[in-house]
Amino acid sequence: MFMPLQSRYSFRQRNRMKGIFPILLFLSIWPAGAFGQVAVIANPSVPVDTITNNELLDFYSRDIRLWNNNKPVTVFDLKPKGEVKEAFYAFLGKSTSRMKSIWMKKMLSGEGDPPAALNSEEDMLNKVSLTPGAIGFVQLKLVTQSVKVLAVIESK
Amino acid sequence: MKWFKPVTFCLILFSINNVHAQIEESPIKIFGYFQNSLQHWTAFEDIREHNSFSLQQLNFFLQKDLGRNWTALVNFEFLNNFSSSRQWGDANLEEAWLRYRLNEKFNIKLGLQIPIFNNLNEINNRTPLLPYIIRPLVYETSFGEFFPVEEFVPARAFAQIYGFLPIGKFKFDYAVFLGNSPNISINNYSSDESPNEQSGIDTTTTFLVGGRTGIRYGELKLGVSATHEKINHFMYIAQYIGRNPSELKEVPAIRLGGDFSYGFGNFWFESEFILVDIKTGIPELDLNLEFYYATLGYYWTEKLFIYGSYWITESHITILFTDEDFKEDEGILIPNFGIAYNLTDRIRMKAHYSKVKSNDTIRLILPNRITKKEDNFSVYALAISVFF
Repeated sequence: MFMPLQSRYSFRQRNRMKGIFPILLFLSIWPAGAFGQVAVIANPSVPVDTITNNELLDFYSRDIRLWNNNKPVTVFDLKPKGEVKEAFYAFLGKSTSRMKSIWMKKMLSGEGDPPAALNSEEDMLNKVSLTPGAIGFVQLKLVTQSVKVLAVIESK
Repeated sequence: MKWFKPVTFCLILFSINNVHAQIEESPIKIFGYFQNSLQHWTAFEDIREHNSFSLQQLNFFLQKDLGRNWTALVNFEFLNNFSSSRQWGDANLEEAWLRYRLNEKFNIKLGLQIPIFNNLNEINNRTPLLPYIIRPLVYETSFGEFFPVEEFVPARAFAQIYGFLPIGKFKFDYAVFLGNSPNISINNYSSDESPNEQSGIDTTTTFLVGGRTGIRYGELKLGVSATHEKINHFMYIAQYIGRNPSELKEVPAIRLGGDFSYGFGNFWFESEFILVDIKTGIPELDLNLEFYYATLGYYWTEKLFIYGSYWITESHITILFTDEDFKEDEGILIPNFGIAYNLTDRIRMKAHYSKVKSNDTIRLILPNRITKKEDNFSVYALAISVFF
């Protein structure tokens, strides 16, 4: 079947584009979704420079609420679901839903409130830098000198 | 006077808000939960098959942090479609306590509270936390009208010290508590009346004393619990067994409990036992109670939990009356299956099936005769549990 040259060209291009499009789509989405590394950040006032996942779990499960200098620990959570949040709680060995049930149990027993959930990583960075004794988590590439990095979670 | 209770309640709430406004303390937290259910019971004994909607339970909390180390909490509980005008259900002041938290190792809680005993006691009435619609029998407070829940578990204490010692990845839990001996506060005891007048005041010099110690390691938790108290609700039968009521005035009752729970992958297992030994010290009267439960569950997804659970309750009673001696062994076996689905973080849908098998064996000593009674029935239930 004959077609005008331009049309044939467009047809080939369109066919080629059909193959390229998913790749372009993947490439355009992947860098935005890929978080690289997640940093466990803290207010510069905290009396430690490193932290283990067990210590973090104790703080986030609200079992332990004081630093070793007896100052209160404030923990922050991220509201939006995403890879950063999942990677952080996977580092603690818990799913986000398991953490929620731990917090609900604490709350209903009068043993403590869940951490404040912030809207974005920028908010997290800001809150942690301004709140004495605070801990949070953001992508490593977003970290500024206003906070201390206690641990880096490698992406999987 | 029907208007009195709601108006008083509103006035209290209003005054709380005013106090808050005046002294500018951290805000009072108001939260709670309720569970509505639809249950279908097949026929048993002389009760015919029936369906019923029910507001099984509503709990309402007021909590306030009174400073860095001090917290106060009040918990109101309403059971079984509570209505004072229709005389339905129960309304209870479950908790009203003040806690001082030094750190994770040392907390002291003063005031009316549910003591730590085994794994479930402290949270047994927190319906959003539990996948069950009907809780393991000794924890099902909505059955309190016909099942002796408080014989099995300590329902309230007034002072408790608790905490945990972290050693490496292990946490060693401890709790010791003090309270009134339940059912002992009878105002007007007379030998020919059953004890039906209670004041809430313990009229003895004894206390309920108890505690729990245990270990946690990751998702593993295990512990042992015990209580000691003195009860006097056998006094009224003293005359029937030819005894002086004072001999049954302070009868020691000892509870022993054990709990084990473990999460592995998507599976969750938990179990408990409770043994109650009432030491009357006289051969004519003996009572022992036993309770066991085990639940194996699986998180199908993060939101969907399915489980199977088995509960066993046994009571062994010996009453050697002068003219009607008998020994009674009663058992209730309940296999259960259920699903719990978290629609949102605050809404949990539940479905639950229980097959109840009860057997009651009475051995009359003279004449030597054994009577056996068995019953089987099923309970199908749907519920929605909401945390607000």
